[in-house]
Amino acid sequence: MTDSQPAVVARGLTRAFGPLTAVADVSLEIPEGGVFGLLGPDGAGKSTLIRMLATVLVPTSGDAEVFGESVTHRPGRVTPRIGYMSQKFAMYPDLTIAENINFFATLRGVGKADRRERSARLLEGMGLAEFAGRQAGRLSGGMKQKLMLASTLMHEPDLLLLDEPTTGVDPVSRREFWRILAGLQREGKTVLVATPYMDEAERCTSIAFMDEGVITQRGTPDQIKALVPGTLFELVSPEPRAALAAAGAVPGVASAHLYGDVVRVLLSGTDAAGVAHACANAGVAVDSLRPVAIDMEAAFAFLAEEGEAA
Amino acid sequence: MNASLTRIGAIVVKEFKHLIRDPRILLAVLVTPIMQLLLFAYAISFDVRDLSTVVVDQDQTPASRTYLQSYTSSGFFKVVGSVDSVDAIDAVFQSSRARVAVVVPAGFQEAVDRGDKAQVAVYVDGGDPNSARIGQGYAVALNQVAGQKITATWAARQGLDLSQAGRLDVRVRTWYNPDRSSSIFLIPGLVVVIIMIVTVQQTAVTLVRERALGTQEQMTISPLRKVELMVGKLLPWTILAFVDVVLITLMGLTMFEVPLRGSVLVLAVSAALFIFASLGLGLIVSAISPTLETANLIAMMLAFLPAFLLSGFAFPLDSIPLPLQWLSYLFPARHMVDISRAVFLKGAGFAEVSGPLGMLAVYAVVVLALATVLYGKRAR
Repeated sequence: MTDSQPAVVARGLTRAFGPLTAVADVSLEIPEGGVFGLLGPDGAGKSTLIRMLATVLVPTSGDAEVFGESVTHRPGRVTPRIGYMSQKFAMYPDLTIAENINFFATLRGVGKADRRERSARLLEGMGLAEFAGRQAGRLSGGMKQKLMLASTLMHEPDLLLLDEPTTGVDPVSRREFWRILAGLQREGKTVLVATPYMDEAERCTSIAFMDEGVITQRGTPDQIKALVPGTLFELVSPEPRAALAAAGAVPGVASAHLYGDVVRVLLSGTDAAGVAHACANAGVAVDSLRPVAIDMEAAFAFLAEEGEAA
Repeated sequence: MNASLTRIGAIVVKEFKHLIRDPRILLAVLVTPIMQLLLFAYAISFDVRDLSTVVVDQDQTPASRTYLQSYTSSGFFKVVGSVDSVDAIDAVFQSSRARVAVVVPAGFQEAVDRGDKAQVAVYVDGGDPNSARIGQGYAVALNQVAGQKITATWAARQGLDLSQAGRLDVRVRTWYNPDRSSSIFLIPGLVVVIIMIVTVQQTAVTLVRERALGTQEQMTISPLRKVELMVGKLLPWTILAFVDVVLITLMGLTMFEVPLRGSVLVLAVSAALFIFASLGLGLIVSAISPTLETANLIAMMLAFLPAFLLSGFAFPLDSIPLPLQWLSYLFPARHMVDISRAVFLKGAGFAEVSGPLGMLAVYAVVVLALATVLYGKRAR
């Protein structure tokens, strides 16, 4: 694989639904190879962007090229090279795994011998082989997603557009799904994946943060995390809500969040003495207060707040 | 071409799998038509026999009894009882005990004997216009016969010979359906109506369902052409609709003794065109409907109303307002009813039905093209 041509180049891509602009003037370049993560809260426009790149939704204005072919002018040249997995389970529930895969691969023009060989290999690799005869509607959430991915891979696309492929899937299946994606990346495929999960964002080679239809930040996970100024502290207390209230009022605290049972406090400096004081004054017991490395969760919360403040 | 056929084949196979795995569809397509045929054929009967009748015999003479006996023996009327007065008829009609009442006033015998005009009264319940109209017709005919008989008897008694008297003898013959049995008239049309209902309804939801499932998007990004999708969707239903045609025809021939005087080939070719046209109509509905509910509703209106009211299968189209007559040409059912009746009852061949057959062919092509154009592949 050469890096001469990017997988995706979007220029001023815009899509409006009536008065609502879901994607506003997005310009984006995604190099070939690697896993590109699209992050952002619900309604940020991730699905709309992906659907335009997949050619199933026509942009209101702007254009994008996938491997050099325009999605608006030559969708027929784009589609053979892409695989698109919608957020919704888009398989026939009354057909079996094997029948679904066979049907879509036939439409995609995959020959009979290739269909047999690839479906056997893909189903085996995803642990679906023994369920090949089961109706798709009777699969678990994780199996459904793997079936969709397998079907998406049957015509061996170079770019995979995956719209929240692991939403509603249990953690074990999610990890397994990402192991498969890592394998695809090693094969040289380009993966564009939208996800609401921060732990998944960490596994991407590059990410873009999207909010209200625009891409607000781009970079590697490390670069994104470096955008967050200050030091992150984790405060453990038997009364986390009271501790959160006390810490939030301390000068020098950029933000304070509840993360499970732990209070996460972002300080502009490195000294957390003020937070400990405030808790003591409020009569809140503190079990521990220690600095931790900034992760995507913290970066996401920070960037989302920045977006609201702006 | 080969790739195209492969894709169409994939769609056809898939559609058949949907059919086989959803017993409700098979039920709707194979059992419902039989039920509809039985229901319609028996329910929409215009034959009136055994009209319940009460008699009011205020004369109580041999002449009045002979006259009333003619009602009982005719087979058209069934005398269910007698009441004492004209006033009592009202209660009888209201309780629906009878729909016809025959009153013979006192002095009937005397008038007959004198050679005077004898008077009787026939009351008909207008609440059921069809029975009323037919009951009235029968009564008038019956009275003519009875009147002639009485006249003849009277003349014979007077020693007159009326057989040479100049009389106009009108004989009406009904061709193709000499008994004017309504099931023979209805069933060739009923085949058409049932096929229309089954086909439009089923294809109307098929594209909407692909959209709702999200599978349409996957088709969009495949090389599948819209027209290939349409053809692939139509073929399985065409076969099923044909099974229906055969089923209903066989039932008509055996159970209702409908004659099939024309050629099976003419019927088959016409039915194929009609099925394509109806399925295409369903596809148009499916292409433009945003939801399954809308599709169902539009299909229902499109299939039922024109099929019932504007096809001429039960209600003569000559008597409806002109704009509605024009409208009836816009639906394939009318043309097929014409063909079906001509082939079944009159033994018509291709030459005789070429007009409506041509209309059906044009219709099928236009409708399928329209469905293909209207079906938006990419969301705009």
